Amino acid sequence: MIKRRGWAIGGMLLLLLVVAGFLLTLSPQAQSFLLGRDEVWQTMQRDGVWRVGMDPSFPPFEWLDANGQPTGYDVALAEQMAAMWGLRLEIVSIGFDSLIDAVQTGRVDSVISALPFDERLTEDLAYSIPYFDAGIVLAVHRDSALLGVEQLTEQRVGVEWGSMADMVGRRLQRTATDLQLIPFETAAEAVAALVAGEAVDALLVDNVTLRISQVAGAPIVTVGSTLESNPYVIAMGRNAFELQQMVQTTLATLQDNGTLKELETQWLVAVPQP
Amino acid sequence: MQHFWRIRRAFLNLLNHRLRTRKLPLSLRISSVFVALTLAVGGAFWLGRDWFGPTVELGPQRTVTTLNPKIGVHTRLTDEVEPWKIKRTLELVRELGAPWIVEYFPWAYVESQPGRYDWAHHDLVIDHANRQGLTVIARLGFVPEWARPPESTPLYLDEQHFADFANYAAQFAARYQSKVKYIIIWNEPNLSLEWGYTPVDPAKYVALLQTVYPAVKAANPTVQVLAGALAPTLAPPGSVDGMNDLAYLQAMYDHGAAPYFDLLAIHAYGWYSEPAEAPAPDVVNFRRAELLYHVMVQNGDGAKRAMITEGGWNDHPRWTRAVRPGQRINYTIAAYQYAQDEWPWLDAVCFWAFRYPWDAMSYQDYFTFVRTDFEPKPIYLEVQRYANGAQP
Repeated sequence: MIKRRGWAIGGMLLLLLVVAGFLLTLSPQAQSFLLGRDEVWQTMQRDGVWRVGMDPSFPPFEWLDANGQPTGYDVALAEQMAAMWGLRLEIVSIGFDSLIDAVQTGRVDSVISALPFDERLTEDLAYSIPYFDAGIVLAVHRDSALLGVEQLTEQRVGVEWGSMADMVGRRLQRTATDLQLIPFETAAEAVAALVAGEAVDALLVDNVTLRISQVAGAPIVTVGSTLESNPYVIAMGRNAFELQQMVQTTLATLQDNGTLKELETQWLVAVPQP
Repeated sequence: MQHFWRIRRAFLNLLNHRLRTRKLPLSLRISSVFVALTLAVGGAFWLGRDWFGPTVELGPQRTVTTLNPKIGVHTRLTDEVEPWKIKRTLELVRELGAPWIVEYFPWAYVESQPGRYDWAHHDLVIDHANRQGLTVIARLGFVPEWARPPESTPLYLDEQHFADFANYAAQFAARYQSKVKYIIIWNEPNLSLEWGYTPVDPAKYVALLQTVYPAVKAANPTVQVLAGALAPTLAPPGSVDGMNDLAYLQAMYDHGAAPYFDLLAIHAYGWYSEPAEAPAPDVVNFRRAELLYHVMVQNGDGAKRAMITEGGWNDHPRWTRAVRPGQRINYTIAAYQYAQDEWPWLDAVCFWAFRYPWDAMSYQDYFTFVRTDFEPKPIYLEVQRYANGAQP
């Protein structure tokens, strides 16, 4: 009997050793997940602070106001989310090309900085759902009968010369429709031409410029789906799965209750360049 | 069902009997050997398909058609592993109307262990470039682990291994004797980053040239050696980051560099200035190239020629040194034309960078002419129009 119990205890110890060994071979992220622990989220709860990295040099999403304080759409979004979680927001100014390193090394908990989604980094980072798509869209005057790219044959389509919108227009010319591209020096000039209703029938433009124009009262609307997507997302460390879940849930709430649209209306405005 | 089990039992009995008595029918034995051989040969080809040379045909010999023979680009095929992408990239360069490319050929990729060489990727790039009618300017560098101390970067090279690097450069020059006419020794040695995160040292760089140049010339007397490739920088004296390029070039001459290079490699970035903006020692702009050439002239080296092996403009929406996309197109074309009209001492203008193997997801992506998926950006199409003689 004693011998049998000894074998049982030995077997259990061996099993524990095997399980422990297996856990040690896993990445820290997998270990945290299996053990049900998100240290980033727990530290945020313990300290009452959410550290968000951003490069405040990209209006209207983030820039420094006259007092040197970060302001803009992303700042307002982060403030909303922190308030909903009962945390104090701490913004850490970091150069754009160092933001990913900052979140991976734990210098910040998250990055909110008009950060485009990068599929290659999904093994290293956890991303939120997009909160804004800055990609290229087709825009027309509110009174236009045009409904999509398939109706652009022989239409005059304004673009900023050399821009991503120009690239999309040339792609449509090659592959889909015989449209006529009308180049402008800036996207804002192309919008003005569409509003005036003389030089162009439609516009290929990035969604930031479009939303800024709409907020300013330009009578233009988007038709069809996004032609070249550029989604902005919130990034966290790969092991911050609880934080990621909270970010997802909160963004969905802000989307559903119209807060994201309100933020666009409030912040997507032309900001004077310094 | 009973039939199935009966047939199965009969078959197994026959097989067991045949195996025991070694009396398998001759036809079955021949078929078995044939199948085994086919599988073995097929498997060997499949496993070793990379060893049997490129799977993409080189295609017919092509030539570049252009109205400006100085147009060039810096390709980034170093980490492009798929042969068809290498070929497609170089086809697009030819179709752009650019006769010149600069490409990086890392030492560590070829000689990862001392004396053991794998030239397959270099061969692939150079053969495809030649077939497209492109002139290759080969940039050499990147030290293998065995030739540097532990914890050092691949951009660190100490004097004890200068001869090893010279040996690589000489082997490169000899191997591609009929295919590569120009090689650049190192890149931006006036930056600490590019000098292995050690203080920059013009005397040490000249010592490197003095070791490499004779070895390369002995291996291939016709190859032309480019030195310099200095980063345009206004770093103040004593900076830990680097050394002013004009001062560095003068220091190179002071340490006796002149007999050890045939051409000067120049990096000419325009940042936010138009290409015609006048040069000045305290300004980084496109025409800073003239100041570097002036240093050559002052040191009695004005008969030598130069090449721009990096440069250009960037149109990233949030990088502080970027311009608008339309400006980038205008400046790029104007710069090619300026070099053609005004700089008889310059042979090529190779702008950074034609295409990356993958997106950098940073401002670097906005230097390229073609996206990673090969979609041409408007700047590619406009430079192509210019090279074909279209009016602006």
